[in-house]
This record gives sequence, structure tokens and C-alpha cells, in this order.
Amino acid sequence: MRGAGPCLLGALLVCGIARADDRLQLDGLIDLRLVHTDAQPSYLYGGLGTVRFDDDHDGLRLGRASLALRTRLSETVTATAVVDAYDDGDINGAGVSEAFVQWRPFPSNSVRWQLKAGAFYLPVSLEHRLLGWSSPYTLSASAVNTWVGEEFRVLGAELEARWLGGAHGYRGDIALVGGVYGWDEGAGAVIAQRGWALTDRPSFVFGELGQARPGLYYQFDSHPGAYGGISWRHHERLEVRVLHYDNRADPAASNLDGDAGWNTRFNALGARWEPLDRLTFASQYLDGRTAVGPNGSPYQLLMNLSAWYGLASLEFSRDRVSVRYDRFATRQVSGFYGAPADEAGHALTAALIHRLTEQWELAAEWLRVESQFPPRAALGIPVASTDTQIQLALRYRFRFEPF
Amino acid sequence: MPLTAGDGRATRTPRAAVRVAPLACAFFVLAAIGPAGAADVTVTVHAVNGKPVGDVAVVLEGGTPGPVRHRERVSARMEQHNRHFVPELLVVETGTLVEFPNNDSVSHQVYSFSPAKRFQLSLYRGTAHPPIEFATAGLVVLGCNIHDEMVGYILVTPSPYHGQTDPSGTVRIAGVPPGSYRVRIWSPRLADAPPALERRIEVTDGDTPQVGFSLAKALLAAPTPRPGRSEWDAY
Repeated sequence: MRGAGPCLLGALLVCGIARADDRLQLDGLIDLRLVHTDAQPSYLYGGLGTVRFDDDHDGLRLGRASLALRTRLSETVTATAVVDAYDDGDINGAGVSEAFVQWRPFPSNSVRWQLKAGAFYLPVSLEHRLLGWSSPYTLSASAVNTWVGEEFRVLGAELEARWLGGAHGYRGDIALVGGVYGWDEGAGAVIAQRGWALTDRPSFVFGELGQARPGLYYQFDSHPGAYGGISWRHHERLEVRVLHYDNRADPAASNLDGDAGWNTRFNALGARWEPLDRLTFASQYLDGRTAVGPNGSPYQLLMNLSAWYGLASLEFSRDRVSVRYDRFATRQVSGFYGAPADEAGHALTAALIHRLTEQWELAAEWLRVESQFPPRAALGIPVASTDTQIQLALRYRFRFEPF
Repeated sequence: MPLTAGDGRATRTPRAAVRVAPLACAFFVLAAIGPAGAADVTVTVHAVNGKPVGDVAVVLEGGTPGPVRHRERVSARMEQHNRHFVPELLVVETGTLVEFPNNDSVSHQVYSFSPAKRFQLSLYRGTAHPPIEFATAGLVVLGCNIHDEMVGYILVTPSPYHGQTDPSGTVRIAGVPPGSYRVRIWSPRLADAPPALERRIEVTDGDTPQVGFSLAKALLAAPTPRPGRSEWDAY
């Protein structure tokens, strides 16, 4: 299955080009970073760091090189694929982040249906509003959405029914959304091993994260995962999302490669409020658990997880200033191999994004994460650590429409 | 007939005004010239805080059966700009042709499932589609299948006596023949119940009636286009 992403991408390209009457949009992004950090070794380099870069891996870095392809296969069917590269020494430095087909028929009454199939992000984040699942607010995602990007890529289908208020004098809409997916049994492994982090380094479709890890996306039981949620948009000012996720993995299952079934479920609740045109507040809360090992066994590793953040962002003519406070914790309920891997921490992020031109953008971000995490002791790192990371980003965006 | 609807919005949406089509492509509805004693009816709308309310549709319905005024086929434009319909509300007479030019860099798919007019415009930028005729009276709610936040309204009325208030909350509807009329106002901003949004008036020979509406409830928030967000919120 590892080649499925590139194959799907190829198919999308061929379909797009074959229909010359459809538009093909290519959106590119080059994001160069100047990074200064004293952080403990990053997870991407075998450590347990809470930020993307570390003391040995800073300086001039490729933040991200991205190409998003969008094409219209018919009047109501679109196809999207996003390929990304990160120069961070990970096993998977480049790959497919998203590849999906979306069908959105015209509504014939107040309920509009939408079907998505392929590989795409869970509809949880209220930070990632831009193409390529990037944020207009900060460089590093919140702890909640870092995890969503790292371990959860829907490999399946999502159905949405959205009640459109316009015809009833209400400026807003409410949607019920549900998804089924596979290759999800790895979801939970990273958070259990490393704890929470704040990065802008999602995993790839069928990819891995960190060095010498088993893959994140695998399947060896017959239980598809499922999620269901509600999205409410009010007057273009308020958006509220609620989602329940359960990968329904068998925690007793494992395969010959040493991959185990991580039974992970969580509830996510978030709201984004824009009381003024230039002012945004956002907050998300996630509460869940992951378990591996037979149910009822004292050897089962069972870990409770929770995290939330509050973000405020103010936009001027060419500048956007954002401040975010994150708080996060894990608690190991059972399955002790040494000290419980209970984590408690908080983070403060301050970012300034300055638009130079339509295509060029400068961004600066200061991020400090303070946390306690007992497993660090085994690596000779203080259990209570502070990771500080300062980044300066130069971003160039371009669009190409060959047809 | 001076169609005053466009005057008030001229500052905000210079190209989004109702205009009389050139004679060459106009066709004429069987008509007679109105009586010499036609009046100009002035309607004003004020919010609960006393401020004038612009862009409110004003329609004079009823009237005394008899002489039908001369009408020309008119065309109108409902543009799309910064992921909003501009104007948000358009008042047109039955039979009006409406164009839907897209001024955004992103494509739109405009539709309506309102009983007064069901239609779908396949994906387009610029002015890709011929105008659409609105032949049935009623409120037509517009949407875009790509951008759910886009909502627009076309109020289709059989009455030739209609207009929209200017920023001073005023509209002057000219050439109204004597008779009994129901004056109705409507806008998506108005929260008052429908009975508060209509009045009966008698137009008599040589009269210049003035009708004032003072709303009892606060206005609903108006959508504000935010440039630079054309590609936001795909997730």
C-alpha cells in the first residue's frame, strides 16, 4: 500500500490533463527558514523534543517546499493532491500529504451533500485555513493540531450534509459530517512515545515520522475507523466544530513487523470567533486516550491525553500578529515500564507575518515550550525542560494554470 | 421611468445598477401611458437608533386596476466580488434579465433553489453565461456552491413601482398613478415582523405622498467582504 499515494497522484494528473476543458491549478510554496533554537533533540532526529528543530539542527533550513494540484474532473467533482518536501533528515523527507476527490453536487433544497474520498486531513483544525493545510496565524501549529497533522490522515471517505441557512433568512449553516477509513492502527504511537509537540511537520500519506519507526499508517484488523462531528458557521463570524474520533483498532492485535494496534479515540471541540474584520480568537480542546495491549491486561499501555489552546490574532494592512497559549498533558493509567510517562506542559507562541507582495511573505515566530516528561531521563535530558525556538521564514508562493 | 434603485448604491457598486437596456434589444410589453396626474412617492426607512437604512427594497403593490404604465424590458447585474454578491439585494421587475459577472480570481457556481427561480450556473469566471430571465414574482435566494458563505437576494416584483433606498434611507418612486397601494419594504438586514414592513397609501391626483418606516428592532449584521481571503477555508 505504500505506493498508493503516488499512484493516486499520478491518476489525478492524467485525469486532469486528459480533460483539456477543465482547469488545472498548480500552487507552489517555497518556505526558507532561519532557525535558532537550544531545544533538546527533535523527534525527527530520534529525540523527544517538543519543537520541530533542535540545537544540532538549526540555522538555514527548508521549512517546506509544496506543490498543490487541483483539477476539476466534472462540474461538481474536483481532485486535489498536495506533495511536500521537508529537508529534515527524516526517513520520509518528501511525499504526498493529501490526495482526494471531492463531489459536491448543486443543492436542490436546503441540504447540500458532499462526498470526499482519498487521503485528507481530519476536519478538526481551526488554524489551518490555507491551501496545503497551512495556517495564516503562526508557523508552528498548536499542540492539538500538530498531533492531528502527525498521526491522523483519513484514508477513506467522508460524507457531509450541510443545512444552508440562506434560504431561511439565516446567514450561516450547520453540517453533520462522518467518515470511515482504514490504515489507522498506528494512530497513537507517536503521542504515547514522545508526548505533545508544536511543529509544522505533518506526516505524509502512508509515511513515517521520526527515525527508525514503524509506519504510521497500517492495518491488520477488519475494523474500519470512524468519526462523526458537527460544524456550525454563523454569519461568517463564528465557526464551531465538534468531532468524535475512534479508530476502533484492536489493541490486542499486532503483526510480524512489530506494529501494534493502537486503540485511539478522542473528542475535539473548537471555536473560532472573528468579532471584527481584523480580529480573530480561536480555541480548541481535545480529550482522548490511546491503548495498546489486550483489554483487561495489566500490561496494556493506557494513556489519557488532553490539550487545549487559545489564540488571538490581529491583522493590520500587511501584517498579522498572533499570540497563542497551549496547555497539554498525558497521563499513563496502566502499563508501567519504569516511571509513568505522564507529561504536563504549556507553550507560548508569538508570531508576526508580514506580506511583502502578493507572492512574497516574511514571518517571524518565537516559541517556548515548558514541559515535564519522565522518559527524557533515559536520554540524559532533564525531565523538566524548556525548548525555545526562534524562526524567521521567507515564503514565496506561485500559481500556474496551464489551461 | 427613472429607476432610482441604482442611484443610491452608485458609490459602492458602480457597475451593479439596474439599467434600461438599449432600445435596439428591448422589447415592449403592451402598455399605455399613465395618467397625467401621476405622483412621486417618497419612502424613507430609519433604524431603531434613528439612522437611515440604505439598500432596502421598496415596492408599491396593488394600485387601481386600469391604466398599465409603459414598460421596457430592463436588464440588471448581480456581480460577485471578494466572495460576496454585489449588491447583496437586487429588486427587479418580472421579466428582467440579470447577468452574473464574476469579478473574483476564483471561480463561482451560482445557483438558486427558490421556487420563484431555480437555476444553476456552471463553474465560471468573468461573464461566461448569458443573462437569466426572472419571470416569476417572489424572492430568489442566491448561493455559490463553492463558497457557502455567499448569499444574495433578487426580489422579483410584478410592480413597475419599486426601488431601493439610498444611503440617506430614501427612495423616490416617480410616476405613480392615483390609486390605493400597499408599500412594502424588505431587506435581509431587517428583523421586524412583516406586518411592520408594509403600509397602505392612497395616491391622489397631484399628491406627493411620503411614507416613513421606523424600525422597532435592531438591524441584523451585514456581511463584510474581506479581500485577500479568496482561497481561505478549504479545510
